[in-house]
Amino acid sequence: MTPPLLRLVLALAGNDWRLFWADKRAAALAFAVPVVLASAFGLIFARPTEDKAATRLPVAIVVEDDGPFTRRVAADLLASGRFEAVELSRAEAEARVADRRPGVAVVLPRGFERLRDWTPGAAGERPAVEIRHHPTTGAERQWAEGVLTETVMRRLAREKFGGLVGDAALAPPFRTETAVVGGPADAQFNAYAHSFCGMTLQYLLFWGMESGLLFLRDRKRGTWTRLRAAPVPLAAVLLGKALATAGVALLMVFFTFAVGRVAFGVTVNGSAVGFVLLAVAASALAAATGLLVAAVGGTEARARSVSTLVILGVSMVGGLWLPAFLLPGWVRDLALALPTTWAMHGLDGVTWQGRGPAEAVRGAAAVAGFAAAFLAVAVARLVAAERRARRGM
Amino acid sequence: MPAALSLQDVRVRYGDRLAVDGVTLAVGRGEVVGLLGPNGSGKSTTLLVAAGVIDPAGGVVAAGGVPRGDDPAGYAARVGLVPQGCALYDELSASDNLAFFGRLYGLGGRDLRRRVARALARAGLADRAGHRVGTFSGGMKQRVNLAAALLHDPPVLLLDEPTAALDPAGRDALFADLARLRDDGHAVLLSTHHLDDAALGCDRVAVLDRGRLVALGAPGDVFRAGPSDRAVLYAHLGARLAPFQARAIRQRLGPAVALEVTGNRLRLAAGCGGELGRALAIVLAEGVELDSFRTPAGSLERVLRLGVGHRTHPLQRVAFAHDDDPETAPDTQAS
Repeated sequence: MTPPLLRLVLALAGNDWRLFWADKRAAALAFAVPVVLASAFGLIFARPTEDKAATRLPVAIVVEDDGPFTRRVAADLLASGRFEAVELSRAEAEARVADRRPGVAVVLPRGFERLRDWTPGAAGERPAVEIRHHPTTGAERQWAEGVLTETVMRRLAREKFGGLVGDAALAPPFRTETAVVGGPADAQFNAYAHSFCGMTLQYLLFWGMESGLLFLRDRKRGTWTRLRAAPVPLAAVLLGKALATAGVALLMVFFTFAVGRVAFGVTVNGSAVGFVLLAVAASALAAATGLLVAAVGGTEARARSVSTLVILGVSMVGGLWLPAFLLPGWVRDLALALPTTWAMHGLDGVTWQGRGPAEAVRGAAAVAGFAAAFLAVAVARLVAAERRARRGM
Repeated sequence: MPAALSLQDVRVRYGDRLAVDGVTLAVGRGEVVGLLGPNGSGKSTTLLVAAGVIDPAGGVVAAGGVPRGDDPAGYAARVGLVPQGCALYDELSASDNLAFFGRLYGLGGRDLRRRVARALARAGLADRAGHRVGTFSGGMKQRVNLAAALLHDPPVLLLDEPTAALDPAGRDALFADLARLRDDGHAVLLSTHHLDDAALGCDRVAVLDRGRLVALGAPGDVFRAGPSDRAVLYAHLGARLAPFQARAIRQRLGPAVALEVTGNRLRLAAGCGGELGRALAIVLAEGVELDSFRTPAGSLERVLRLGVGHRTHPLQRVAFAHDDDPETAPDTQAS
């Protein structure tokens, strides 16, 4: 009696499903780890988005000149809406900057008071202003320099022209209009949403790897000999494994996002159907990754080391840890050859970017394409291995 | 009437080496045949060919007269395999294991549940049906292992080293089960490298050496009596012996007594009963703990002379090859 292929596939998938749940603690950890990772990443990178315009740069102010003009400039800097400033001595400021708390210090040294007598176009030596900064805070240094320049020039204008110039007259002679390109106008970066997308995808790949390692282990057990003696085609075994892995992966996606929604307000602002399509495609990718690991991994130890390296690499380059826009252009170009990039782009789109189904379908199709390619390679290798085993090799 | 299982001129090649070289063997219904031979003689490979796990490079394997090549799925349904060691999922319960393997043979629904319950009852494990196999003793695992192979009621049963992990009581129970299966009309082919296993539970013995079938017949005929009768004692060790302990005991026993230690089994062979008794006293005096021991009536090892063209008969190598270098002696679980 030869059971129909579908019944065999379901029996094999059901068995793998039971094996997964047999160790309840391990199963619980498999669901908890992506949630913990996503929460941690979200917590680290989260910024109050509703107050984004008022984001202030932490900076230390050092005042070494006792002149009244210098004091007023210092007071303006300390009161600036662009700075989160604190006044320190030079020694204290340098010690803190070296520790990057804050990363920049503005020093108004002796002689700064001479600036009070400055006139536009005047020749001679200009008073110096020092900006001390940590090696990693080049961007913050430029930010501080800009705010300092604006503050000093406003103060000079007030001092030079007295009551003739009011705050309105010192305002920029132009209007700034901002617009969001490539998404809804109200789309703002949400660190939690990004982290939950990224960490879920990364963990799906790790789950796929684990599943592949389990398959490698299974093939050394007596149960594999028994399976090969049964009237079960290899296709049914592989489909059963893939179905079980993808099923668990899909459950992980929905569980992780459910926790993200309840605990951190991570929502699908865009297409819900697109989200489901991406989740299914990513789960299929996890299953295909598992079979690929089993097919090309060699020994279990070798497969674990290489897979871990590859998964961490494609996660980083694919923008799963940090948003892709923070990566250099050439890395972003290179990342287009990775499934993680497309999956992440799609998930970012349907979550915090609030995009429609078209982009999600494009992302899901790309991920499914990668999954199909992985599957094809894995099946070809495993079929060849089975042929060799049947010949006793 | 065709044999329940037949192997006709079967050859298996591992690279340049012929692991099975022209083996022809038939097992009838209601018959237990033992494949006997030293490690590397081709026992397990022959059994895997019979199970359909390995495709032979040449020859024909058939069950009920139908060659495997003509109907692989039908062939698989006619054969039940008990692989070496525990071929079960330790993480799952006994009933889940049986149900899974039953589904692979197309069983399902009420019929599957009934078969699982009956198999567990026969194995004496009905009250442990929901317990994880990982918590079972070696004997219990072997009973579930056997039950899993029989769930689809195959006429042919194949067992690869089934006694390897069993204590004497477990082995006796296994052979009682095999006798019952034989009486039910099953054809049983098992591999072993223990002569007493072959003598205890097999109707016929097929002796393999370097992949070739060198003897086939009833145990009494194959193990013919010879002039140099030896008294033999088989024992089960309470704790495994370190190689240096075995060496020390061998030195004390002297060259006239053969001591063989394989895993937790011990075999002691001496020229006569008195000599064997003295040898046993020496072994016990060395602090060796024996859980149980027995001395088979008319012990088989005295008759290892078949004159089949080898200077040393393969059965003698089974029994004595390990004496020279106990450290290289394979564990009984190794094929």
